[in-house]
Amino acid sequence: MKIVVCIKQVLHTYARTGMDLQDRYVAPEDRVRMIDPASESALGLALKIRELAGEGNICLLTLGPLTAGEELRRCLALGADQLYQVDVDGGAELDSRSKSVLLSRALGHLDADLIICGRESIDTANGQIGPRLAGHLGLPCVASVRDVRLVDGCRTAEVRAGAGRGRVAVVSCRLPVVLTVEAGSAAIEHIPSVDDWRRSRQVPVQRMFFDTAGIATGVLREEIIAPRPRPKIVPAPDCGLDAFARIDLLLTGSNVEKKGEMLVGDIERQVDGIIAFLDAHGFLEPLQSAAGREGVSGG
Amino acid sequence: MLTTALDYILVLAAVIVMLAGFARRPARVRQVVEESRRPADFGYFLSYILGHGRIVGGRPLAGIAHLAVFWGVGLPLVVIAFAQFPLVLPAGIAGLLSLVMDVLGLVVLAAGVYFLIRRLTSAPDLGAPRRVVVPLLLLLVIVLSGFVVEGARLRLTAAGYAWQSPVGWCCSSVLPASPLLMQAALRFHFFAVLLFVVLLPFTFMRHLLAASLNVLYRDRGHRGALTPAAGVVTENALLAGDRLFDAGQLLELDACVACGRCAENCPAALAGKVLNPRRVVQNLARCLEAAPVPAGGNIDASRLADAVSAEEMWACTGCMACVEHCPVLVRPLVKVIGLRRHEVQMHGRMPAEAVPMIRNLEIYGDVDGRGCAHRGDWAHGLDVPHLSERDVDAEMLLWVGCQGAFHPRYREVLRELVKILRAGGVRFGILGTEERCCGDAARRLGDENLFLSLARENMDVFNKYGVRRIVAVCPHGYNTLKNEYRELGADFEVWHAVECIADLIRNRRVTLRYPLEKSLAIHDPCYLGRVNGIYEPLRTVVRAVPGVRLTELPRNRERALCCGGGAGRMWLHEKPGQSINQLRAREIRECGVEAVGAACPFCLTMLEDGIGSLELESPPRVLDIVEIVAASMAD
Ligand code: SF4
Ligand code: SF4
Repeated sequence: MKIVVCIKQVLHTYARTGMDLQDRYVAPEDRVRMIDPASESALGLALKIRELAGEGNICLLTLGPLTAGEELRRCLALGADQLYQVDVDGGAELDSRSKSVLLSRALGHLDADLIICGRESIDTANGQIGPRLAGHLGLPCVASVRDVRLVDGCRTAEVRAGAGRGRVAVVSCRLPVVLTVEAGSAAIEHIPSVDDWRRSRQVPVQRMFFDTAGIATGVLREEIIAPRPRPKIVPAPDCGLDAFARIDLLLTGSNVEKKGEMLVGDIERQVDGIIAFLDAHGFLEPLQSAAGREGVSGG
Repeated sequence: MLTTALDYILVLAAVIVMLAGFARRPARVRQVVEESRRPADFGYFLSYILGHGRIVGGRPLAGIAHLAVFWGVGLPLVVIAFAQFPLVLPAGIAGLLSLVMDVLGLVVLAAGVYFLIRRLTSAPDLGAPRRVVVPLLLLLVIVLSGFVVEGARLRLTAAGYAWQSPVGWCCSSVLPASPLLMQAALRFHFFAVLLFVVLLPFTFMRHLLAASLNVLYRDRGHRGALTPAAGVVTENALLAGDRLFDAGQLLELDACVACGRCAENCPAALAGKVLNPRRVVQNLARCLEAAPVPAGGNIDASRLADAVSAEEMWACTGCMACVEHCPVLVRPLVKVIGLRRHEVQMHGRMPAEAVPMIRNLEIYGDVDGRGCAHRGDWAHGLDVPHLSERDVDAEMLLWVGCQGAFHPRYREVLRELVKILRAGGVRFGILGTEERCCGDAARRLGDENLFLSLARENMDVFNKYGVRRIVAVCPHGYNTLKNEYRELGADFEVWHAVECIADLIRNRRVTLRYPLEKSLAIHDPCYLGRVNGIYEPLRTVVRAVPGVRLTELPRNRERALCCGGGAGRMWLHEKPGQSINQLRAREIRECGVEAVGAACPFCLTMLEDGIGSLELESPPRVLDIVEIVAASMAD
């Protein structure tokens, strides 16, 4: 069995103690190069699965230059067998979509039974890589996995995953499958021994290169819009109040109150609710033309 | 005097068997000398053996009994050896000698019976071997048969009372005048002595040689400094220690006399944990005995490691009570740390709860994972100069440590310390963001590599700024910087804050004015007291505070009980048994003081937690000595 763990190397900024606006107040000691904690959990899960299965090959897959090389070696020392690095030309800043395309191309060569990655990284917290990978590869994806049992001669995975508000989803799916893991959910409880370290230093880095040109197929335009404060006129707070109350008033006053409705019930009822909402607010075109378009795309 | 040639042959044979039994020792000693470059320390050895101070100290009754047996056996041996030569002593002196031998025999008898009762009534499961019973019985037989011989001789030769042999005379009054009896008793006595000699290496009595060698070739390094792992090979900054203990350590294992003084003072054993240092040492010694001695003296590490369970080795608080109280200079603590190293370095196993702390050290360089960027935050607004500032005027470096930098309570202690040092006119600076954890916890949790990498980073910074003097506020950092950085080439002077304050008070550079009307006891932190011998400065400082009524806890100074937080235990869960900090808290409560003064961030936290858990109506306050001084200082 082959398990590929996608490892994200991050330059984690845990403080802003710098004095310089140019550097966004980040001093050199404010950052550490490390493996994203969620990726570390992904490795933890992979190790656990392999231990239960009794055999397996764990490959680490990382993107871009080896900025946290020593930490990657530590991952190898903890029990991973191979290290693949997807080289990115020109040090381009990649977004989640391009990253996932590159990773999926690499995965296309690796023939993995299980692909595990962190659910949400500590730096960007986009949480997109796992689902996007699954999309590109046409595989099922289970998020926030806590536990995996392989049954049916390692052909099926029985996955327990967090489903929000303390609920647990039990999902059974055929391999290969993409799993995402939250940080801290599969802690690695041992540390590398001297021999592990020595072994890890012998593992070669296997480089893979894919052209980044044309990665953005299908997406015509993408624009990231930064949040904008929506001003709201607030009456001057009563100057008889104390400072805390005045600041509090100013802050709460400037919030844009949003009315909302919580959709409850089973999935069908919730979907009905969404459709009703979209319909009521004129987001849906009349049923007639929608059906017509469906017909066209179907053809 | 020996009579026949056969006797001489028998004596020779006995000595040969004895020497054969001890055959492996010279190899071990040679190894000790070659490997650790330890020369024999005859001066110390003589003062140790003649004075018996270390053996008597801590357990006077047993120590004096040992002293009695030592002289009671040693002196007659010398006399008998000399008796083989045709020397003629003046009658008076010969008589006096005989009297002394007679009395010594009685003393040995009493001491032997005392030891026998002690061993037979001690708990058998704690690693105290019963094999001491056989040589003790043999010793008693030798003494008794000696008296019978003397009695029979007197009965045959002397008439009336003989002042030279009061005990022999008493015996003679109940013995028949039979030359046969005398001869039989003499042979019996002789054979008993031969048997004793033959059994020396195979019974408990081997400690005669093993313990003596251990004392003679004692490790003269500082007791607070753990040495690098045995058989270290550096390769990419990694250690490959396939040997668990160096030759010196193995020599120590042989020397253990299973007296149990270590266990009597071990906080873990007292709190009912699985760890018992005597058992650890004895199990290792047994393992060592069973192992064949390969060429070069290397013993398969895993064999020894299996003799001690993981739970035992992780229960140690590194308090050094066992080292302090061992009469034959065995260091059970060093064995425990060696085993931890083996567990961590060779198998990558460590209690799961400690792993996040180790990761924090690896990634952020501090135990809390707060990051070095925040390491100087505690000094916010105090305007403490950094050594990196160009025009800094600092005579010493204030070593802050992880607790001083991040622990909310200890940050305050640090701020108070700044106040005191400034009042005393001490010019100091800090390293701020350039400081890293000293590595004490990592090393004592067995992660030698991590310790080395942290220590090297710190050493680089010390060298960069040419640091010559350091004042540390955490005893663990103090000990590590002072004693363990030497192996990395450190040659700076290290002071503990309390020493520094005591000095300032002595030189009247700070005056303490405001009274602290409290009864206060001192809790001696292990790494200040037992490890570095700093007991008095704590008391000097506290006595200088007006109004304080200083009391001593029942266990104080060398016998002080650990708070339970050392050797990385701060980050480990309390497994079976009582919490050690509660044990100490109860002692403090029973002492009835209003406050307890400590000088260590771990002690402060552990004691506060321990006292808090007792849910007392008016619990004693736990104060750091720095806080006490700052509160009393004249503005
Ligand atoms: S290690 Fe020392 S104190 Fe402990 S039992 Fe052995 S001889 Fe006694
Ligand atoms: S160092 Fe302290 S806790 Fe550890 S074995 Fe020795 S006495 Fe016990």
